[in-house]
Amino acid sequence: MTNTQPNKMRGGKQMGKIKVVHYINQFFAGIGGEEKADYKPEVREGIVGPGMSLNAGFKGEAEIVATVICGDSYFNENLETAKQEVIEMIKKYKPDLFIAGPAFNAGRYGVACGTITDAVQKELGIPALTGMYIENPGADMFKKSVYIISTKNSAAGMRDAVGKMVPLALKIAKGEQLGSPEEEGYISRGIRKNYFAEKRGSERAIEMMLKKLKGEDFVTEFPMPDFDRVKPNPAVKDITKAKIALVTSGGIVPKGNPDHIESSSASKYGKYDIEGFENLTSETHQTAHGGYDPVYANEDPDRVLPVDVLREMEEEGKIGSLHRYYYATVGNGTSVANAKAFASTFAKELVADGVDAVILTST
Amino acid sequence: MDLENQKRVKELTEKYGAENVVVLIGAAEAEAAGLAAETVTAGDPTFAGPLAGVQLGLRVYHAVEPEFKNAVDADVYDEQIGMMEMVLDVDEIIKEVKTIRDQYCKFND
Amino acid sequence: MVKEIERAGIPAVHMCTVVPISLTVGANRIVPTIAIPHPLGNPSLDPAEEKTLRRKLVERALKALSTEVDGQTVFEE
Repeated sequence: MTNTQPNKMRGGKQMGKIKVVHYINQFFAGIGGEEKADYKPEVREGIVGPGMSLNAGFKGEAEIVATVICGDSYFNENLETAKQEVIEMIKKYKPDLFIAGPAFNAGRYGVACGTITDAVQKELGIPALTGMYIENPGADMFKKSVYIISTKNSAAGMRDAVGKMVPLALKIAKGEQLGSPEEEGYISRGIRKNYFAEKRGSERAIEMMLKKLKGEDFVTEFPMPDFDRVKPNPAVKDITKAKIALVTSGGIVPKGNPDHIESSSASKYGKYDIEGFENLTSETHQTAHGGYDPVYANEDPDRVLPVDVLREMEEEGKIGSLHRYYYATVGNGTSVANAKAFASTFAKELVADGVDAVILTST
Repeated sequence: MDLENQKRVKELTEKYGAENVVVLIGAAEAEAAGLAAETVTAGDPTFAGPLAGVQLGLRVYHAVEPEFKNAVDADVYDEQIGMMEMVLDVDEIIKEVKTIRDQYCKFND
Repeated sequence: MVKEIERAGIPAVHMCTVVPISLTVGANRIVPTIAIPHPLGNPSLDPAEEKTLRRKLVERALKALSTEVDGQTVFEE
């Protein structure tokens, strides 16, 4: 359908089709999985992968003109430079709108989406949004500065995510008024919006109090932010006498994964004996983690759980001792609640075993 | 459906023609079964694989569906699938896969 | 997990590659590592050099454990 109507001017902005640039990772671009997570930023004309779904949702009002692709590990390991490289690519298209992801529960992808969406807003002044699961670390990091549509925890939720991202994207591109996070489907940004309520404050407070006393459901008007920080423990006084324990979320387990720790969304952790082990090798150990390229960790598990070095230091007297047990789980999409539960359980054992300090390694 | 299998289904369909392909799936849960079924009919709903945006409209059945069960030797079926039949939520799976088929399969048989 | 271990009273140091994640999660002592698939290694080095690198990072971790901190601190050396 050709545009035979005169272009409408709206606050200086032409209301033609909204130009969109989309950012995705190497997986959704069909380039590869973990083994390609180091893929350098690349821009392709038009639509790639999930962009098809977004574009279909726009129904002609907006159009994805270019897709920027970047490997999740490359982005996260080179945050500053990757960000700049990607910004330069986006800039060239002078888009009216930028969308990243959705990243669901993929941690590095979520961090990348959040970082780039935030940068596009700040540095290019373009309306931008992304989407990810609420437990994605990228959500906590960027929910205050960026619109993040709340999605399900896996790509099975793509239709649902796109269904929410499209309307919000069009609204912000057109500069329209937005509703509350619940209405629009984005993660609460902690921004207070003043509004005129029909009843006065004292009345609303009393109603809420009565509900609470009666044990009925009520909705707070201002949820207290949950910082959940822990004060740092005092430093170890004499490290040469300390018993050090290793813990990892990198999934290092004895070869064969005897406890069958899942490669993602782990439902358990393992406690393993390294007594007598001078180091870990591809014969004795492996990684169970499905969220990163396992090649290097399988070749030499010390690269994730540094038993070799700590054993040396133990022999040299640089540390008191290396605790005979280490604890491992897989941090890939594992729920916060589970991780917390695992650690609070084995922390008790660590205390009982007289461990003075812990080195926790993550991938 | 994982990317390798998506690629295989796509290539086989291109080679032999959609009318000559039947996909048989064995997912243990209705949701996974639905995703696989949707992938080979309406296209990969996660948009992560070669069948993203590709509508093959193939005939797809789950191993516990009556159309398959009745088409094969009863003893062999019992031996291979009998056990799983008892453990899986068969009704859920049948419902999920049939719904996808009714909606997206391009063959009406 | 780091927070739960600290809650039990044991000082913990988080060795990880994506420091912003560790900061968001609330670790108090953080040592940045090499790369996601090999935080304490570098396959492009020869084994002896790699081990030296690993040792350096672990020593930094021990230093972090021996240093008093007020709040979240990243130990880059």
